[in-house]
Amino acid sequence: MRITTRTRRAAVAAVGALTVGAMLAACGSGTPGEAAGGGDEEGVTTIQFWHRNFTPVENEWYEGIIKKFNESQDEIKVVGTQVPGDAWDQKMKAAQAAGKAPDIYTHPGSIQDAVNAGQLHELDSIVPADALAEISDAAKPVSEIDGTYYAYPLLLEPQAVLFWNTDMLDKAGVDSTAGPTTWEELLDACAKIQPTLADGQYCISPAQDAATFAWSTVGQQYNFAGHTALTDDWTKADIDDAGYRDMMEQYKTLWDKGYMPKQPLADYGGGKDFGEQKVAFKVSGSWMLSEIGSDYPDVLGLTGIGPMVNSADADGRTATTLGNFKWVIDAKTKNAEAAGEFLSWAIAGDPENLVPFFVDTQFTKAPVRQSVQDAVAADPAAADAPWSTVIVDDIAPNAIPEPTYPWDVSLAVGTAFESVMKGSASPDAAIETANNAIQTVIDREGLADKAPSE
Amino acid sequence: MVSAVTERPAAARARTNTRRYRDTKVAYLFLLPLVALLAIFVIWPAIYAGFLSFQNWSFYKEPEFVGFRNFIAVLNDPLFWASVGRGFMFVLMTVPPMLVLAFLFASLVVSVSRRFAGILKVSIYIPTIISSVITSIIFVLMYDYSGGLLNWVLGSFGIDPVAWIGDPKWALLAIAIPAIWLGMGLTSLIMVAAMVDIPTEFYEAAAMEGADWWQKTAYITLPQMKNILLYLLITGFVAAIQQFELPLVMTGGGPLDSTTLPNLFIFNHFRNDINVGYSIAAALVMFVVLGSVSAIVFKFVNSERLVD
Repeated sequence: MRITTRTRRAAVAAVGALTVGAMLAACGSGTPGEAAGGGDEEGVTTIQFWHRNFTPVENEWYEGIIKKFNESQDEIKVVGTQVPGDAWDQKMKAAQAAGKAPDIYTHPGSIQDAVNAGQLHELDSIVPADALAEISDAAKPVSEIDGTYYAYPLLLEPQAVLFWNTDMLDKAGVDSTAGPTTWEELLDACAKIQPTLADGQYCISPAQDAATFAWSTVGQQYNFAGHTALTDDWTKADIDDAGYRDMMEQYKTLWDKGYMPKQPLADYGGGKDFGEQKVAFKVSGSWMLSEIGSDYPDVLGLTGIGPMVNSADADGRTATTLGNFKWVIDAKTKNAEAAGEFLSWAIAGDPENLVPFFVDTQFTKAPVRQSVQDAVAADPAAADAPWSTVIVDDIAPNAIPEPTYPWDVSLAVGTAFESVMKGSASPDAAIETANNAIQTVIDREGLADKAPSE
Repeated sequence: MVSAVTERPAAARARTNTRRYRDTKVAYLFLLPLVALLAIFVIWPAIYAGFLSFQNWSFYKEPEFVGFRNFIAVLNDPLFWASVGRGFMFVLMTVPPMLVLAFLFASLVVSVSRRFAGILKVSIYIPTIISSVITSIIFVLMYDYSGGLLNWVLGSFGIDPVAWIGDPKWALLAIAIPAIWLGMGLTSLIMVAAMVDIPTEFYEAAAMEGADWWQKTAYITLPQMKNILLYLLITGFVAAIQQFELPLVMTGGGPLDSTTLPNLFIFNHFRNDINVGYSIAAALVMFVVLGSVSAIVFKFVNSERLVD
């Protein structure tokens, strides 16, 4: 009896010890390996490259360029990871927090915040000087800060372009060759188009939620008001004027008259609604055309493209910002040289490496190097893409760069637009709310000291 | 054991102590994994979060001590408080309807035949085992403006389509419904278990006195289920105010922040801010808010041992 109890106790204790051991062991082995940066075997340096999930042709280009680079030499091995766009921020944040950020990755928007936070490796020491010198003036603001390069741009692309379905415009008796150029013309066109639409079809699909307004309408804000959301010295919000009010009213008209759907039929950046011919007009980035080309080839021939419509007081100002995609190198990488070599080879070297990218994306993006622009223009397919001149020659040259102030400022403005458009607030109330929100950001982040010097 | 102690005090105490000691050792051994995991994944991160909430840290430069600045920024941020208020609104929209529906359902289950009760229990539990991400996607498809099931049904009655998740008026309700749907299963089963546990003699005695269903429910069922209801109220409250996946997948917090629940608000800051101080401070403030509310609920609705 006694022995049995003792045996049982011993057995229980043994099981307990085993459990503890197993759990602790599990904890130990759960620690991520060191492969992220180091992982060198036999003199091969492995570098991690994260790029965003885009249209199929872009993804193919990324996969292809990595493969080609790996085959071209045997000292550096690039491991590519394609990250879905909506998971990017949290995946990157988690990796940065753990010190496991990729060596090299793609980066949209402004680099100011990332440079201030010390996240980016400078490129001057690891990318050849002549390659850096070839970056066009339009792309310099997104790649260089105070004379130091931190990013190598791959492309520039207008973020607000007007697309139209020529069939649907013709049916309503609206000129489909030129398309509207002012808000007045756009509203007139919608008035004519609306009666010709079937159930579930709408005149236009523009930005319609706060976050999309925040980034995609900065050019339009400039078009209406002659400035963007902050005063030049970044001490105050600058949205309380007739220009901003007028722009809010235009969107409200689109909403109130039912010219736009009350719930987005597709993302701003995606072409699903346009491809399925549910809308006659679509406002989106120039990149949307490459999705139409790959997913809705029948609609490509019916697609008209032009600059976003202008305010009556635009006075020749652009209505779009120039978005960009850059490659950057993580400040904490242990393989900066290798990452720099891959970057230089892939996007700063032989123009032929980049030609397929711009051709397969239907000439909807502007290269940032003259040599690449020439090589792309020389491609036989360029002749069949009449819109490329609209994008590269008509829209891109006047476009303004994306704002460098913090995202929360843009978001406050976007929220104001959405509230007025949806009738949740009057323009006065929405502007006041936005002013307060922006002031909070200015105070919290000490923006007055961070204003650009020019 | 007590009688053994009175018989031979010294020897028995010695033996008891040894046993107690031995048992304690094994108990500690069994506790160790849990405590180790808690320490690694809860206690240490909580302490570290407390430390970081007083810093500005971007992961790349050394953390910079900023005192209470992050907390002041959170406490002065109307958007934070709006999201907390919205969280309470969401609780009101989900927890009471869920409790009422689950109660009615459980009453139905205990009153039907065993076989039918089995079918009912399985069918109500199915939503619980479906991932909330899948649920979100299914509901987004149903709410779709131009091709969704809901607007199609409305359309057949000649009603204009409604922007369920595009209109700030509807959006919070539109995500409350899948939340109720997801939470119903477990709540109902717990209620069924509680109802089955109530001695049938109570009902028999009440029936002899001529009590009807309402009286039985009000004077027997509800008082007997008090502890269970309290448990469901607290867990339902905490789960609802912390709801995160549904607005993240279905609306991203929009339109006009109308579905930005507190955790999504904090997550968005974590995702977008260069420095993590603000989001950590917001999470700690949220922790205090949740703890206080739970404490208040416990204060007013005491759990008591049932009198048999």
